[in-house]
Parts: sequence; C-alpha cells; structure tokens
Amino acid sequence: MDAEERIVAASKFLLQSPPGQINDVLNDVRNIISDDESLQTGVLPALIEYNVTQFITVDVPGHQHQTIVSEAARAPQEEGVEDDGDRFWDPRSRTSFRFDHLSLEASEPIPIDPDSDSEPFRAALENATLSYISAHFHSGVGAVFSIPGNASQFIVQIVANKYNPSNFWSGRWRSEYTINLEERKLEGRIHVNVHYYEQGNVQLSTTHNISLPLPPAISASSASASASKVLALIETEESKYQSSLNDAYQEMSEKTFKGLRRALPITRSKLDWDKVLGYKLGAELTANKSAFGAS
Amino acid sequence: MGDLVDSMLDLMRRLPPTNVEENVAALVGMCPDYADDLLGSVDQPLKVLTDRATGKEYLACDYNRDGESYRSPWSNEYDPPLDDGTVPSSKLRKLEITANEAFDTYREMYYEGGVSSVFLWDLDDGGFAGVVLLKKALNPTSPGEPSGSWDSIHVFEAAERGRQAHYKLTSTIMLHMTDRPNLDDNDSGSGSASKEKNNKSEAKRDGEVSLSGSMTRQIEQDWPIQDQNSHITNTGRMIEEMEIKMRNLLQEVYFGKTRDVVFDLRSVDDLEKARRQRELQKELVGFIKR
Repeated sequence: MDAEERIVAASKFLLQSPPGQINDVLNDVRNIISDDESLQTGVLPALIEYNVTQFITVDVPGHQHQTIVSEAARAPQEEGVEDDGDRFWDPRSRTSFRFDHLSLEASEPIPIDPDSDSEPFRAALENATLSYISAHFHSGVGAVFSIPGNASQFIVQIVANKYNPSNFWSGRWRSEYTINLEERKLEGRIHVNVHYYEQGNVQLSTTHNISLPLPPAISASSASASASKVLALIETEESKYQSSLNDAYQEMSEKTFKGLRRALPITRSKLDWDKVLGYKLGAELTANKSAFGAS
Repeated sequence: MGDLVDSMLDLMRRLPPTNVEENVAALVGMCPDYADDLLGSVDQPLKVLTDRATGKEYLACDYNRDGESYRSPWSNEYDPPLDDGTVPSSKLRKLEITANEAFDTYREMYYEGGVSSVFLWDLDDGGFAGVVLLKKALNPTSPGEPSGSWDSIHVFEAAERGRQAHYKLTSTIMLHMTDRPNLDDNDSGSGSASKEKNNKSEAKRDGEVSLSGSMTRQIEQDWPIQDQNSHITNTGRMIEEMEIKMRNLLQEVYFGKTRDVVFDLRSVDDLEKARRQRELQKELVGFIKR
C-alpha cells in the first residue's frame, strides 16, 4: 500500500467510528500510520464527513445551548467573512461560527440575519422541536434550518448521545425530517447506533425511512399551530418506530436466537460425554461386526 | 512495536463487527509485517467448505490453513491439494477423528443443523492444542423469516500432568442477526375510514435492524485423564459449559443492554409529564405533612 492508499484506508476506519469514539479511532489510526503530517491533512475530509453525517453537537459561542453541525447547518456565504467551508451556523441564536473538525470546538462567532420570508415558520418549528425533545430525549439536541431562497422547505434535525466509556457502552439516536409545504410531504429518516464493548464488540445499527403526506391543516400562514402539528406527527412516528424496535428485539430473541442455538438439547439435559464417545464406539463395533459377518 | 498490534486490536474492538473481514484485510494491507499477529488474534466469520473426498461440509479458519489451502477434518486432505501440508501426528489424528465425531453429535443436539469441525495440532512442549468450530446460519427465503448466523471458535491447549490434564480455553462467539420491522399502518386508531385509507396508501416506511458482534471469554481448568479420549470428554464438558454461559451472556447483552441504551436515549413516555407529576406529588406530600 502506498501513502495515499493508507490514507484512504484510514479514512474508511474513521467513518466507521462508533458514537463518541472518533478520538479513540483516530489515536489508533495515528499509531498505525505513524506519519502525523500526511495523516492530519489526509484524513480531514473524512473527519468533516463523519461530523456532518453524525450530527456532531457543539456549544454555540456566547450562548448557553448546543447546536448541530451538519450539511444543512453550513453558514450562508457572507461578504467579508472568510469561509474555508468550515463555517456553520445556529439559526436559534442567529450566530455563525468556525468549527474545528478535530477539536470539535466552535470559535469566531458572527451575528447573522435569517431569511425574513421563512423565519416565522422556522422559528415556530424550532420551538415545537425543542419542547418535543425535552419531552422524549434525556440529552437531546435539536436544530431547525430553512433552505436559502426557499420559504416552503424546512429541515428538522435531532440528535441524542449517551457516552459511558467507564461501562464500555455508547449510543446515538439521529433523526432528520424535511418538511415540504409545497409538495405537502414530510420525509424523514431515523438511525440508531449502540456500541457495547466490554470483553467484546456488539453493535446495534438501525435504519428507518419515513415518507408521509402533510395533513391539509398545516400551512405557513398558521405557523405556530402548524408547527405543533408537524411535531405531533414526528412524535407519533418516532414512538411508533421505537415500539417497532421492541418488536424487532422480541422477534430476534424468540425466533432468530433460539433458532440458531438451543439453550439445552431437546432432552433438556446436558450431554453425557462418556456416552457420546461410547455411542460412536458402539457404532464402530457394530460396523466392524457386520464387516466381519460379510466376509 | 507491540503498541502497533494493540492499536490494531483496539480498532477492531470499536469498528462495526459486520465489516470485520474488510477491515482486517485493510489492516493487513497497511501493515503486512503484522499480518500473522493480526490474523491470529482477530476472529473472523468461519467459511464453510466442502470436502472433495467425502462431500461433507467443514469449516475453514486460520487454524486449518496452510498457505492458500485448508485442511478438511474428515479426509485430512488440503484443498487446493498440498504435497507437504502440515498434518497432526498419527496419534493426534486418531484423537482428532474421534473429536470430530463427538462434536458432530454435540452440534446436532444444540444446533439442530449447521457445521462443526475440530482441528488438533502438536505443541513443541509435548502437549497439544486444538480448536472446536461450530457454525449455523439462518438464511431467509422470504422477508419475514429470521436471518442470522452464529459462529463459535473454541481454542484450547492441553498439558498432561500425570493422571491430570491442565486445559486453557479461549472461546469466542460471533453472533449476527437482522430484522426488518413490520410497520404496516393498519392499527392507527381514530379518524374517518376513507381519510385513513388515503393516508395509508401514501405513507411509506422501510428500514432494517441489525444486531451483531462477538464476545470472548477464557477459562483454565484441571481434569482427570484415563486415556487419550478423556481429552475429548474433558474439553467437551468445558466447551458445553462455556457455550451455555456465553449464550446467557449474549442474550443479556444483545437483547438487554443494547435495548436499554436505546430506551435511555429516547423515552416513549412523556418526560415532561413525568416531571410535572413528580413535582405535583412533592407538593401533595408537603401539603399532607402540613
């Protein structure tokens, strides 16, 4: 493998990092590559991709809340602001910031003006999203984005992380919804990842896609009431999905697990190993006897 | 550079178990000098091969590999054929044949299907070592059927000490399951029937749940020996006990721990309501006390 191929391989490892363990994976990769200079620039695209697809959360500078770093959160281009593709924004506090993809910290906050056409509905969705999160997630972060130049399309993102390295587990719930008022559609996806790694490596990985028509009562003109209805729809879908996960667990435990290996043989007792060998010996003797008999 | 192997093993403990083969291959490509260390310490899913001589299926892993060839426990032949492939001494081969028959019975009793293989090899210090492999896969023929696989790898070393033998057993079980939850919209409660029908035809949901991984445990025990076959009854009992314990452990981790984390991330019940209820209760208690 040449240097370039090694960086490609290292990037693939980083993209597979379980929740909250990107630094552990990066440390391992660093040790394996043992060429910090080529690594640092080489794996940056992978770190960026990981952060934006995994909805990495960050403290908004100068504010008491967190927001999500994602494709939808890329700051709109502004004149006079240097942007190397590492500027994101938090519509809630109307702040754009520079995000360091290695240290996962935000800096250089700049106030930013929202799009006045879409802001009322976006803000209503944000309120409804935040109260939905506090009702159903123990440590969830949410962000709602409008799409520049499009006042009828909104993106709701939710992420909840739990990292418990001292007990060797971590988990992440990610969901994202696109609300399209013009096409009257709600499209979304939910991903859940859990990693348990005490004397082993066990991972839960789920994908789920949703596509629903928007009820007629939802419209931009009644922002507050409509936003509540959208989040009620999301709440129903997510709760339904969570109970379907329960069913999947039940199904795998009752059917798949039991179908792979029994807890005990059908005799309900452990094997009698002396007999296991004896049987074979017996079978061999009979086989030999008949062989003698035939001669 | 023991450090390097540690980093590779730490990495394998974190990356998705479903990609273990691909990731090990990438690591071998990156550090070819450490290929043997890595292949010897990271368990990978067992491959099922067919013995050309007997037509019986057997399992392939690093322990019955010589170059690019794998030895069958049934015919003792390598495939592709090797003139000078490593084989156990004739005394050990005899024991290997009996062990394969015994664990084939064990496999049938617990797995009711699947494939088993036992491989033994002589150790320099006069003892011997072996690996007992078991694999079963459920391959669905329709979407609703269970899908999964179970791979057991039990590596042991046996050292005779007079009428006793000391055994060191390392067991790894790889378990992989997938499920496609049924989310048909036929149980949504109220609303006029026609409207619901309309919604139903437009609403689309799909997805997959995958639970996969591996767990490893070790144990050392002494058992009495009468003859060579005692090694089979002894390791048989140890492996049976270990699989029973590990099956319980897997059940706890797969269906208990990972599920708990999901429900720790998101609560089906309204947390705000619960918070308000607790506050109300506190107030009420205070009121009664007054």
